[in-house]
Amino acid sequence: MGWHGYLVLWCGVFGAVALVGYGRSLAGMTRAQRTVWAKGRIERVGEPRHGSSPKDGIAVVVSFQDPATGQEFTVTNDDERGERISVAWTGREIGVHYPRGRPHAFRFANHLSEGGRGLGWPTFALFLVYAGLVVAAAIDWGWPWALLGFCGPWAVSGAYHLPGNVRDRNRRIDALAAMAAVPGRVVAVLKSVTVDSNDGSTSTHLVPVVTFTTLDGRAVTAYCESGLTDPAGSRGLNVTIHYAPDDPAVFVLDVEAERRSWKRDMTVNVVGVLVVAAAAVVGVVAL
Amino acid sequence: MTITTGAPPPTHNLPVALARGFLTGGVVGTSLAALVVGGIVENASLFVTGLVLPVVYGLLWFLAGMPRRAREAAVVPRTALAVIESREAVGGETSEVPVRFELTVVPDDGPVYRVEITQDINLVDLADYRPRGVVVVQYPPDRPWRVRIVKRPTPEWEDRAASAQLDSVPGTATVAAPPQGCAFGFVVLLGLLLGVAAVLLAFRADLFDRDDTAKSPSAARPSVSSTSSTTIVSSASGTVALGRGQSFLDKGELDRALGSLTKGGDTRDKRQALTVVVQERLLSVVFSPAGTQTPGFDPRALPYGGFPALVEEATTTLGVRSPQTWQITADRLTGSLVIRVVVTGAEGTASLEADGQGKVVRRAPAR
Repeated sequence: MGWHGYLVLWCGVFGAVALVGYGRSLAGMTRAQRTVWAKGRIERVGEPRHGSSPKDGIAVVVSFQDPATGQEFTVTNDDERGERISVAWTGREIGVHYPRGRPHAFRFANHLSEGGRGLGWPTFALFLVYAGLVVAAAIDWGWPWALLGFCGPWAVSGAYHLPGNVRDRNRRIDALAAMAAVPGRVVAVLKSVTVDSNDGSTSTHLVPVVTFTTLDGRAVTAYCESGLTDPAGSRGLNVTIHYAPDDPAVFVLDVEAERRSWKRDMTVNVVGVLVVAAAAVVGVVAL
Repeated sequence: MTITTGAPPPTHNLPVALARGFLTGGVVGTSLAALVVGGIVENASLFVTGLVLPVVYGLLWFLAGMPRRAREAAVVPRTALAVIESREAVGGETSEVPVRFELTVVPDDGPVYRVEITQDINLVDLADYRPRGVVVVQYPPDRPWRVRIVKRPTPEWEDRAASAQLDSVPGTATVAAPPQGCAFGFVVLLGLLLGVAAVLLAFRADLFDRDDTAKSPSAARPSVSSTSSTTIVSSASGTVALGRGQSFLDKGELDRALGSLTKGGDTRDKRQALTVVVQERLLSVVFSPAGTQTPGFDPRALPYGGFPALVEEATTTLGVRSPQTWQITADRLTGSLVIRVVVTGAEGTASLEADGQGKVVRRAPAR
C-alpha cells in the first residue's frame, strides 16, 4: 500500500468518525445533549487552610434541584467534581450538570450556560480529514498548498471573529473603569508541590487566597493567582480589590496592569490575523 | 455486628478474564515482535501492523468495556461512617502523600466490615485522620472494597461524624477485591510468548536469509569484489570470483553475480558494458567509460541461460577432446553483439561465435 493508500485510510476512518458524531448529534444522542443542567447555589463557603492544596478548589456546600424529579440535593466539591471553584460566596449561582437520571454523578461549572450539541469531536475528526488532504496536496503539488490550505481558512475565521473580539476587549477595558474598590486581605497561601519525573526536581506552585466583602455585603473568598509580587510571604497582607459590581468573580488587584494586558492582547489578536492572512497570500502567490 | 458473607462475590467471570488476559498478552507480544522483526527485515507493512494492532485492540477493549462502565457509573454510591484503625504514609515526595488506611466501615443498613485502602492525603490535612477518628466514606454497594474517604462531607454527615461514638468490633470480616490469581499472570505470559513466536515463525525465512547474506564474505556464497581498473582510462571494471567447487555454469550463478555487480552502485546499474568475460570461476565486466560514445551493451541482457549449452557445444564438437579451460567473451566492438566461446585443451584452441540471442553463427575447430 502506497502512502496514498494510507491517506485514503486516514480520511476514511476520521470521515466515518465525523459522520457518526454528526449523526448522533442530529439524533440527540451525544453526551452533551443527554446532560442535565441545573442551577446550583453555594450555601456555605469553607475557609481555606494555609498550606493546603489548591487542586480541589474552595470548599463549598452547594444545593441544587433535579429538574426532572424536583428532588433537592446538597453536595460538596469533594474529589474530582468538574471545574475548580476558585471564587465563592454564599448565594453565588454556579452550574451543575450530570448525565440524565444520575444526579449523583454531578459536576460543577463556573458558568450557567448549557453544554451545546456535542459537535466538538466530530468537527475535530473533520479537521483531521481536511488536514490529511492539505498535507497530500502539499506533497503532490508543492508547499504553497500547505500555506493556503491551513492559513486560508484560519485567516478567514480570524477575520470573521476579529470585530467581535475587539468589541469584547473594549468592553472588558470599559468594565475596568466601572469596577468598585474595596479592601481585601490575603487569608492563606495554598501550596502544591510536584516532582519532575525526569530529573527528580521539585516545583512549588503557590496560590494566595483573598477575602473581601462587596459593597452589597457579599463575603467573597477567591484564589488570587496574579497581582501579588511575593505570593509566598503575602499571608496577612491587606490589598485593594477592584471587582465588577454585577459579578464579583471578575476582580483584579492592579487595574492599570490589567488594562495594559487587555490592550496588548488586542494587538496580538490583530497582528496574529494579519500574519496568518499574509501567509495565505504568500501561498496563493507562490502557486 | 459482623459481616455475614465470608467472601465478596466475584465481579468477573474467571474464564472470560483469563481469555482477555491471554488475548492482551498475545496482542502485546505480536505487536512488539512485529515492530522489531518489521524493523530488521525492513518490512513496512509488518512495522505498521505492530503500531496499529495495539491501537485497534485498545479501541475494542474500550468499546467492550463500555457497558460495564455504564453499569458501574449508574450505581449510586453509599455513604457511611468509618473508624480509622490505623494509618501509614507509604511514600511520596509531593504535598499529597499516599496513605494506607485500615478502616472499619459502619454502614447504616448493612453489616460492619473492615477494609484496607490507599488514598492521597495532603500533608497539612494529615492530622485530621488520626487512628480512632471517625470519618465519612463512600463506596459502591456492589464493590464494598472500593472505599474512599470523603474529605469534604456535607453538613449533615459532618455533624454525624462529629457526634458519633464508634468502637471497633473485634473479629469483623475484612473485605478485599477478588484476587485474579497467578493463573491470570500465567495466561498473559503465555499469550505474549505465543504472539512473539507466531511472528517469528511467519517471518523466519526473511530473518534467516538475512543472516546468510550478512555472513557472505566467509560463507560458501560467491565472494564478490569490485575493483577499479586503471588499465583502461576513465572506466571501471567489476570482477566476481567464485569459491572452490563452484562454476558459473551452475544454474542462476551468473545472474546473481551480474546482479551484485550492476546493483551495488548508484550509477553502475545504468551503465553499459564494453566487454563481459566469463570463465569457470571468474566473471569480469569492463564498463563503458561514462560520457563516451563507445559500442557498449547492457550486460544484463546477455543470454546467460544459453551459456552452458554453448560451452558444452564448444567442448564436444570442435575437436578438443580433453578441454582444460573455457572462456566466454561478449562484446560489440565490431558492431553487433558477439559472444565468443574459446576452449583450450591438449589438442589446441577451438572457438565458436554466437549472436546476441545465443545462436551459433561461426565455428572454428581446434588447430
